[in-house]
Amino acid sequence: MKTFSATPADIHKSWILIDAEGVVLGRLASIVALRLRGKHKASFTPHMDMGDNVIIINADKVQLTGRKRAQKTYYWHTGHPGGIKSRTARQILEGAHPERVVVKAIQRMLPGGKLSRQQMTNLRVYAGAEHPHEAQQPEVLDVRALNPKNTRSAQGGA
Amino acid sequence: MSRVTSGKVTHARHRKVVKAAKGYYGARSRNFRTATQAVDKANQYATRDRKVRKRNFRALWIQRINAAVREIDPGLTYSRFIHGLALAGIEVDRKVLADLAVHEPAAFGQIVSQARAAMPA
Repeated sequence: MKTFSATPADIHKSWILIDAEGVVLGRLASIVALRLRGKHKASFTPHMDMGDNVIIINADKVQLTGRKRAQKTYYWHTGHPGGIKSRTARQILEGAHPERVVVKAIQRMLPGGKLSRQQMTNLRVYAGAEHPHEAQQPEVLDVRALNPKNTRSAQGGA
Repeated sequence: MSRVTSGKVTHARHRKVVKAAKGYYGARSRNFRTATQAVDKANQYATRDRKVRKRNFRALWIQRINAAVREIDPGLTYSRFIHGLALAGIEVDRKVLADLAVHEPAAFGQIVSQARAAMPA
């Protein structure tokens, strides 16, 4: 008996819609990363792009626990000497592209090869409640209802 | 011009190695000395990876069983499912379980419910 390996004909990519309002960032990213990779399917094949298409709305209203909103820092280097730059999560969430907090969290939960970059293109993140994918008839995935901890509010922090 | 030597046995041995190195990059597929090293290393990898392959497949079957189990029963995980199988006395191996999960979801669902029933609530 040969172990099943999915071919393009076996792959069915569905569309799912997630409302990120009040959902804890890392918990959301972990669920989405799982879906993007297709690890929720019994036919999971590691080298094939077989995950779902994921739409996230209200990405700017994502929940950060503790004091991460002020303290979590994103770094990048410009390549010039002394070119290290940083922004805190709050600065990005209040800036022009607040959805990047969610995008970055998900990207960093993927293995990070060529296939992962391909799978990231199946992710659409929007700051507001609007999205232009009604034609795909996305199925709603209620992350808040999956686990009470998914909406845990800030604690222990000022 | 490189000097041509004529030992028949030596030539046959060299040709055997270079042939085994077909498709390798640059000198590794053409030059005898480099090809020897490349082929020796390739054989080491092949020996190791015949063993690694068995682990990789087992890991893949587990990932698939886990996905299938969670889909059927959100409260059940792979680990608890395997525990339930042991309690129920079901001795189907992971390879067959993973295959059932892909091709016979109904049969797999039966096994899950049996495993579930064997577990103390």
